[in-house]
Amino acid sequence: MDTDSYLSLFIDESREYLQAINDHLLLLEKNPHNPDIISEIFRSAHTLKGMAASMGFEGIASVTHSMENVFEKIRSNQLIADEMLIDTVFAVIRVLEQVLDDIAEGGEPEADFCRLSDTLDEIVRTDPGKKEASQPGQVQEEMDEYGRRVMAKAGEMGYSAYQITVRLHKDCQLKGARAYMVFAALENCGEVIQTVPPVEELEEGLFDDQFTLLFLTKAEQNQIKNLLLDISEVQEVKMEKPAVSPASGGTEKAGDNPETSGAWPVFSKNGTNTIRVQVERIDELLNLFEELIIQRGRLETIAETLKNRELDENVEDIKRTSSQMQTLLLSLRMVPVGQVFNRFPRMVRELARELEKKVDLQIYGEDTELDRLVLDEIRDLLVHMIRNSMDHGIEPPEERRKRGKAEAGTLILRAYHSGNHVFIEIEDNGAGLNREKIAGKAVEKGLLTAEEAAFLPDEEIFQWVFASGFSTADKVSDVSGRGVGLDAVKNKIESLGGHLHVTSREGEGTIFSIQLPLTLSIISSLLVKVEGHTFAIPLSSIIRTYILGPDEILRVGRMRAMDLRGQVIPLIPLSEVLELSAGDKSNEETAVVVVKKGEQLAGLMVDSFIGQREIVIKSLGRYLGEVFGFSGATILGDGRIALVLDPNAFISQ
Amino acid sequence: MAKVLVVDDAAFMRMQIKQILTANGHEVIAEAKNGREAIEKYVATKPDVVTMDITMHEMDGIEALKAIMKINKNAKVIMCTAMGQERMILDAINAGARDFIVKPFQPDRVLEAIDKITAR
Repeated sequence: MDTDSYLSLFIDESREYLQAINDHLLLLEKNPHNPDIISEIFRSAHTLKGMAASMGFEGIASVTHSMENVFEKIRSNQLIADEMLIDTVFAVIRVLEQVLDDIAEGGEPEADFCRLSDTLDEIVRTDPGKKEASQPGQVQEEMDEYGRRVMAKAGEMGYSAYQITVRLHKDCQLKGARAYMVFAALENCGEVIQTVPPVEELEEGLFDDQFTLLFLTKAEQNQIKNLLLDISEVQEVKMEKPAVSPASGGTEKAGDNPETSGAWPVFSKNGTNTIRVQVERIDELLNLFEELIIQRGRLETIAETLKNRELDENVEDIKRTSSQMQTLLLSLRMVPVGQVFNRFPRMVRELARELEKKVDLQIYGEDTELDRLVLDEIRDLLVHMIRNSMDHGIEPPEERRKRGKAEAGTLILRAYHSGNHVFIEIEDNGAGLNREKIAGKAVEKGLLTAEEAAFLPDEEIFQWVFASGFSTADKVSDVSGRGVGLDAVKNKIESLGGHLHVTSREGEGTIFSIQLPLTLSIISSLLVKVEGHTFAIPLSSIIRTYILGPDEILRVGRMRAMDLRGQVIPLIPLSEVLELSAGDKSNEETAVVVVKKGEQLAGLMVDSFIGQREIVIKSLGRYLGEVFGFSGATILGDGRIALVLDPNAFISQ
Repeated sequence: MAKVLVVDDAAFMRMQIKQILTANGHEVIAEAKNGREAIEKYVATKPDVVTMDITMHEMDGIEALKAIMKINKNAKVIMCTAMGQERMILDAINAGARDFIVKPFQPDRVLEAIDKITAR
């Protein structure tokens, strides 16, 4: 192939990748266990290898291959990136840079590649050595009792058995994946009973160039053969009907494995530990489970009215089992946030270069798990917020120096669990939010009066950065600052049932904190009654409940308040706020639900508590859209609908 | 002759595969350098075949593959990979990839993959 025309492109891109490895080695020195850094170096070495091999620079390819091996080991915790290792890799990188320069000047790459590879291989050589590839044996001989029995049974059911030998191109790479494609094709029209070598070895590519398998099918022989030959790199397919005599040797071990005799068909007798399942199926299962929860609620209601002890016990059992089921089901959809986080180091590096800033990214809690749906939704939001922090938060190096800060700003990405929520924080030690500027802008836009701006606490002033069309950036960059964004981010997070908060100190930095529900659909709630209507309040935002006597309600002008262990918190009469008509109940006892939003507390006044229920939140649908004070609706045990209150809406009033 | 969308984050790799394809009568109707672009260009150009690199930033090949399979469940996507990515390939095949080719690209293999996929 004519590769000369790509030479300059190859050199430029290779230099970039070497630079990337360089940068990440530096980071790795500081965080020798950070999987993101390790993966990044691995990826860069991997890309380099592919490019070099394509250009025919075998030397570079073999060195980068060795480098990839080193980082693969580090990634799988079989090797530790100590100082010596990093020094060695740095030395190799320097040589490779020199080699690229040589190539660029038209010379032949001159370096002792073998020695470089050897140095790297030496590091890796702590492992006990790879498994030897199995020799393809005679499937007939190796086919065990199990296989024979299954085949005999299959014959009775109208299946034909074939012994298929598949030979791949002798220079086929990734043989394991190729073998997997063969399986995938066969699984569509029959059942693979047994393979030689065993499936596990086949999938790891531990075979020469052919493997044999035993296949049960109702399809035509030619059809199967063509199907297999259609797969790339399949050189030859031999099919024959194995001679099966159900009696042959079938008696001696017949009793060995009684539990499998009826279990047909089974793919492999050595069951694997994991199976792949389509996400849709899990979602479907979860939907059905939600229906089940609604019906369980109904059953609870019936049990309460009937007051039958046996029924009660049974309902309790169902509750216990179903809550275990729920945990399990939800865990099926959980994925570590690292899946999203691991893209950021490179993004941050590139962005830092673009913005001419120095940024040190630290990532914590990448193992924190979150519902896959939620994670998918927030991926872009995080990108946006990181860009925002880097563009507006972290100052240029000169400015940081002037302020007596380290030239490199720190950006911390942190994820952790707390209660039923996952928190993701984006923290920078940059300029922080400027209270005057934000307040000024809010007043200018008529969102606040000057008096309000003067006495509102920082917290509340800062929330204006989430208002739409609100940008205090002095200059608009390509990255952000156009005043679209943070409001969209906030809306999106709230639509997921989450909250976005900002805390900041001028000159010291800003923390954006995203609070997300672990899962979107099923929550624990407290059911309350207000003027004959039933409402659900999410338990996650409830601090506690009180029954207040008439004299315990403090009156501050027209406002009511209560004393919560020395702290005076406002009381919000739901019946009035929701306009459900309110008779004067000042002489009765009042039930109060204390809810929190961030640091703020408030007491929601209700008529009575009904009890705690697991509820399935359904959205209010498009016609109603966003209704003040409600985050959705749910179906109660008795079939009626209850609205789910969003306590946050009442607090920000 | 097939109309091909070539997806790879390295411009160098894209040129290589493009050369192999065009030299053998296929047409590269679009190129993309990440998964997101790939989806856009897939929708815009409706190629017969997509060659999709796996490791890319801004949405990797597997995600892009999944998105494309959602748009067209009969989409013909060939994954491009290098040694050491077996597991990714298995994921890709499960997600609907029809074939894969291994870097460094051998023209025969690339053409075999394209021919087989278009014949089906």
